Amino acid sequence: MRAIDLVIRSFRNLADATLDLPESGVALVGPNGHGKTNLLEALAYPVLFRSVRGSADREVGRFGGPGFHVAVRYAAGSTVAATYFAAERRKRITLDGEEQATVSAAIGRWLAVGFFPTDLALVQGGAAERRRWLDRMLSLADRTYLDALLRYRGALAQRNAALRAADLAAADAFNPALARAGSTLASRRRDWVASAIQLWQAELAGLGELAAVTLRYKGDDALIDADAWDERLRASHQRDLARGQTHVGPHRDDLVLSLSGHTLRHYGSTGQQRSAAVALRLLELETLATARGVRPALLVDDVFAELDHDRQRRLATRLVSRPGQRIVTAPRGEDIPRELDLPRWQVQDGMIRHVLSEAA
Amino acid sequence: MNVLETLITEFARLPGVGRKTAQRLVYHLLQQPRERMETLAAAIAGVAERVHPCAECGQPTEDAVCDICRDPRRDAGLVCVVEEPSAVAVVERSGAFRGRYVVLGGRLSPLDGIGPDALRIDLLGRRLAGGDVREVILATNSSLEGEATATYLQQVLAGHPGVRVSRLARGLPVGGELEYVDGVTLTHALTAREELR
Repeated sequence: MRAIDLVIRSFRNLADATLDLPESGVALVGPNGHGKTNLLEALAYPVLFRSVRGSADREVGRFGGPGFHVAVRYAAGSTVAATYFAAERRKRITLDGEEQATVSAAIGRWLAVGFFPTDLALVQGGAAERRRWLDRMLSLADRTYLDALLRYRGALAQRNAALRAADLAAADAFNPALARAGSTLASRRRDWVASAIQLWQAELAGLGELAAVTLRYKGDDALIDADAWDERLRASHQRDLARGQTHVGPHRDDLVLSLSGHTLRHYGSTGQQRSAAVALRLLELETLATARGVRPALLVDDVFAELDHDRQRRLATRLVSRPGQRIVTAPRGEDIPRELDLPRWQVQDGMIRHVLSEAA
Repeated sequence: MNVLETLITEFARLPGVGRKTAQRLVYHLLQQPRERMETLAAAIAGVAERVHPCAECGQPTEDAVCDICRDPRRDAGLVCVVEEPSAVAVVERSGAFRGRYVVLGGRLSPLDGIGPDALRIDLLGRRLAGGDVREVILATNSSLEGEATATYLQQVLAGHPGVRVSRLARGLPVGGELEYVDGVTLTHALTAREELR
């Protein structure tokens, strides 16, 4: 899958533009703070219709502006677009010009996987970071997962509100919905981990990590079965009431990454952690490609500078070995490994220029 | 705020009416003869003054007890529990139900501060206390909150073992095509499939 063109209006500091993107991709070069990451953010926005940086929509629009608009055409006659109206705090999402009643109807039509320096948090950060990553990936891979996730979040929010109001009977009225959706999440996550371990090991070996790495899903096994939930939830009543939140369910699970028997989060070197984060993104790429039958585009934000020379080369080789469009950023042209031979665009003060042909 | 603005704001509060539609409605009214507006105002004032919930089922009526609850031909042994009065109208239109109703006046939604006490579950209790009820049909919506409301009522009804409790079946729409049915609906339809022989 590739972006044929990208329309941006009032998006961050970027000048309004319609950009024709080369099929192989492009390398965006320019000083930090001038808009390279913003451009990747714009390309990633219509995947899940939210900022990949976790920003609120009102922060994504140009400062003091009326909102923003972004559209990606990813095939002839196939365009996803999002318009945010700041005054009404309303988002309008269209598929091929037709307005969609729900965001979920348009999620994942256009697919891109991003590699960002902040990905390090996937390894260094708390369980919530990894759950969010899993949820995002599996939602894009599988419609059933997305539906279950939305129902689960709704049921959990209602149940917790009832717990805060100290109304246990009302809280338990949401148990069947929680169990149905939650058991789907738990079992799909486990199935995915079981199928992904080997590939993750292969990706890390390809990046030069020789130590034994493993991937393990940490959570209550029994919750794969929806019928097991009632007993678990009832056993947790006192704790739930005391804290005003539900203590049973996949919203408390973790994906444990370890190296030679120790958690990468606590014992990995920064270099190993960076490799592990990159390998998770490569895994995401393969998972989506297999599940959806199309290769997502790659958005690679200045991750090379963070890696040592050997890891840089290895990552570049792995990226090049997969077909598909690659949009890569770096402060200077020489920061982009030679293996990634792409047309270069200059990004300066939010303006994008096709230049630097001499460097190609 | 001037009266014009007030009216637009009030219209915009109605379900399904945005600010633009509210403006269009108000400007349309302004072009009508003055009596039309007075009739509308009087109708709204009349409803506010005279309509209140039926003492037995909770649906809006001008009398103490509504027409359906007073009708001796209706089966007092069958009770259909719905969220809103609009659902009564839908079930009535089908002509397939000849029992009586309980209108809860909403559905369980703790996030919006709507707990069991905010619903007219007491009306159901009163019907059950009468001793005539054989079956309670839980016809709340199949939304997350509607399902939770049905689950909650099931617990309430557990204290009445002699009463049959049922839930509206979910499945294929009549005249619908299988390929357009979503996975959840199809799962329900399969689970609740009918035996032919």
